[in-house]
Amino acid sequence: MFWKVVARAVEFRKKRLLLAFSALAVAATLATALFSIYSDIERKMRVEFRGYGANIVIAPGVGAQTVPLAAVAEAERQGAVAAPFVYTVGHLDGQPVVVAGTDFRRSGPLTDYWHVEGTRAAGFGECLVGSTVAAHFRLKLGQQVEVVGAPCVIRGIVTSGGSEDAQVILPLAAAEQLAGLHDAASIVEVRADGERVIALRAALAKALPGADVRLLHAVADTEANVVLKIRGTLFLLTALILAITTLCVTGNFSALVLERSREIGILKAIGAADGKIAALFLSESLILGLASAVTGYGLGLLVAWGIGRQIFPGSAAAGIPGGVGVNYSVFLPVAGVTLAVAAGATLAAAARIWRIKTAVILRGE
Amino acid sequence: MFLRFVSESIRRAPRRKAMTVAAVAMGSAVATAMLGVMLDIGDRVNRELRGLGANLMVTAKAGSLPVEIGGISYRPVSREDYIPEAQLPKIKSTFWQLNITGFAPSLKAEAVLGGRQVPVEGVWFLRRLRGPDGAMLEAGLRTINTAWKVDGHWVDDRERNDAALEAMLGGALARRLGVRPGDTVQLYGRPFTVRGILSTGGEEEDRIFVRLEVLQRLVSRPGQVDAVQVGALTKPEDDFARKDPARMTPAEFERWNCTPYISSIAHQIEAALPMAVAKPIWRVADNEGKVLGKIRGLMLLVALAALASAGLTVWSVMATTVIERGTEIAIMQATGASNWMVTALFSAEVAIEGAAGGLIGSWAGLLLAEWVGRSVFQTSLEIPAMLGPLVVAAAVIASVAGAAQPLRQALALDPAIMLRGGQA
Repeated sequence: MFWKVVARAVEFRKKRLLLAFSALAVAATLATALFSIYSDIERKMRVEFRGYGANIVIAPGVGAQTVPLAAVAEAERQGAVAAPFVYTVGHLDGQPVVVAGTDFRRSGPLTDYWHVEGTRAAGFGECLVGSTVAAHFRLKLGQQVEVVGAPCVIRGIVTSGGSEDAQVILPLAAAEQLAGLHDAASIVEVRADGERVIALRAALAKALPGADVRLLHAVADTEANVVLKIRGTLFLLTALILAITTLCVTGNFSALVLERSREIGILKAIGAADGKIAALFLSESLILGLASAVTGYGLGLLVAWGIGRQIFPGSAAAGIPGGVGVNYSVFLPVAGVTLAVAAGATLAAAARIWRIKTAVILRGE
Repeated sequence: MFLRFVSESIRRAPRRKAMTVAAVAMGSAVATAMLGVMLDIGDRVNRELRGLGANLMVTAKAGSLPVEIGGISYRPVSREDYIPEAQLPKIKSTFWQLNITGFAPSLKAEAVLGGRQVPVEGVWFLRRLRGPDGAMLEAGLRTINTAWKVDGHWVDDRERNDAALEAMLGGALARRLGVRPGDTVQLYGRPFTVRGILSTGGEEEDRIFVRLEVLQRLVSRPGQVDAVQVGALTKPEDDFARKDPARMTPAEFERWNCTPYISSIAHQIEAALPMAVAKPIWRVADNEGKVLGKIRGLMLLVALAALASAGLTVWSVMATTVIERGTEIAIMQATGASNWMVTALFSAEVAIEGAAGGLIGSWAGLLLAEWVGRSVFQTSLEIPAMLGPLVVAAAVIASVAGAAQPLRQALALDPAIMLRGGQA
C-alpha cells in the first residue's frame, strides 16, 4: 500500500518530478566532475612541470672539481631521474669550442625543452651540435666534424636558447675521455617529483657529503607556487559551486513538498499519522535524490573524463593511475550530500506544513 | 492593464517569486564567478610563472663563438661586440612594452678570488630609470629572478653610483670562501663589501655580482653591456607562431607581429636594438606556454560545465513555475484572454524574474570571483565590465527559453481539461 502510494504519486507528477530530477542530476554532475578534477589536479599539474627539466643540481663540493658518477646511481635509487653532464674545452678547426658529454638515455627526460633538428641522442662516434656552433662552422646534419680527439657524425642540431647552443654534445664516455675524467661528471642534474623535491634534496645531501646538492629555486619554487594556486582556485570554486548547488537543491525539495500542502491536508484529514506522511514524502524525496545522484555521478565522471582527456592527454601516458581525471571515490560524498540535503529539505518543509491546521491548508491559504 | 497584471502576479505570490529569483540568482552567480576567474586566471598564472626567470636572452651580435663554461670564458672576449647601456630603455619602447615585466643587463668579466678564476657580473639589481615615454620604470635582476633567495640584503642601486664597492656572492662561492654578509672581499685590488649571499641553485651560485657602473669603470668598458635578460608575458606558441616571419604574407606578418608570441617579442627587440640578437630561452618559454595552455583549457572547460549546468538550472526552475500555474493559464483562456496575451504576460513576468535574478547573481558572482582572486592570488582579478550585462542577458534568455515549452503545451490544452486537474 505504502509503495503503491509512492509509485502513484511519482507517476501522477511525472513531468514535475522529471524537471526536479534533471535539476538535481545537473547539480550532482557538476559536483562529481569538480570533485574528480580537484582531487588529482595537483598530480596532473606536477606532471606538466616535468618539462622544465632538473629541479636539483649536484655540483662539486668545496675543494672538489667533479662529482662522482655514484651520485647518479644514488639519485636514481631515491626514485628520481638523474643525468651526468661533463663540460670541457675541445678544438675544432683550430678554434676552441665547448664540448659537453651526457648519458643521452638518462638526460632525455631532463632535456625535453631542447628543440632538435634530427635525433635527440647520439651513439658512439656520433654527436649533437648546438645551433650557434652549427652556424659558426657551417655544419649540417650527417656531416663529420673533426673535434680533436673525438671526431663524430652530427645526428642532431640543438636549439635551446641556453648554453647548449654553443656546445658540441658527445656521449658521456667520449667527453670523459676528452676531459681526462673517469667515473666523474662536472655536474649531475636531477629531476625529483615536485612534492618530494625538498625531502629528496636533503636525502641526497646526506648521502653525498662531498658534493654541493642545490635546489633550483626558480623551477622548484615556481612549480610549488603555481600548483598551490591552481589547487586553491579550484578548491574555492568547487566549494562555492557546491554551496550554491546545495542551496538550489534545498529549494527544489522544499518546493516539491510545499506544492503538495493540499495533499498533506487531505491525508491528515482522512486520519494518516504524521509519521506515516513524513515517511511517504521522505521515501519519495530519497528515491528522487538517489536517482539523480546516480545519474549525476555517471555524467559527472564522464565530464571529468572528457576534460581530463582533453587537457591532460599526457597524464595517462605518464602512468598515472586512474588515467585521465576519473576518481571513482567521489560517489559516496556526492550521494551522501544529495541524500542528506533531500531528506533535510523535505522534512523541514513538511514540518512547516504540520504546524498549520488542516482546515487552513485545504481552504487554500 | 498589462503592467498591472504582471505587477499583481508578482505581488500576490512574493514567496514563490522570491524562490524563483533566488534560483536564477544562484545560477547566474555560479556562471559569473566561474567566468570571472576563468577569464583572468591565465594572466595571473603567467605572472606567477615569471618566477622561472628570463624567457628571452638578448646578447650582442658576435662574430665569434662564445667558449664559456660556468661563466668562465676560454677565449679572449672581443670587446667590439656590446650593447650600449644608454639604449636599454628602448626595450620598453617596443609595441609589447606592457608585456615585458622586467629586464636585467649584465657585463661579464673575471677576477681572481681565493686563488681561483671567478666570473664577475656587473648588473643592475633594482634600478630606477626613466623610460622612453618619460615614466619611471624599474629594471634589474630583481624584476626577473623573483625566486632567488638572499641571505643578507640586496644591493640598493636605485641610483647610479660608480664609487660604491658593493657585491653579492653566489651561495656556492661564499661557502667555498667562507664569506658571510658584511664581510669584505678583494676584487681588482679593491675592497668590496658583501651585502648578501644569493641562493639560486643554478650557475649564479659560483658568481660575484657587482654594480654595473662599477664593473664598467674597473674593466674600462664604460657604457657597455654584454647581455640582457628579458622577462615577458607571452602567448603560448601555436603552429602559426612557428612559421618563418620572412615567408609570411604582409597580413600574416601583421597578425604575428601583433600577437605576444615569444618569437615576435624577440623580433621587435631586435628591431629596437639592431646591434643585438634576442633568443627565446626554450626551457622557460616552451614550458610556460604548455603549463599556461593546460590551465587555461582546464578553467575554460570547467567554466563551460558550470555554465551549462547554471543554464539548465535556470531553465528548469522557469519550466517548473509555468507548469505549476497551469490552472491560472486555463482560467485566463476561459475568461477570453488570447494565446498571444497569455504568452506576453508570462514572458514579461519570466523575463523580469530572470533579469532580477541575473542582476543579483552577477553582482554576487563578481564579489565571489573577487574573493577567489584575493584569497589565492592576493590581488584582485581584472574582470571585463561586459561580463555582468552578458550574464544578465543570458539569465533572461535561459528563463524565457525554459518557460516557452511548457507554456506552449499549457496553451494547447483545452482549458476545461486543465481546470479539472489534467496535466499540462
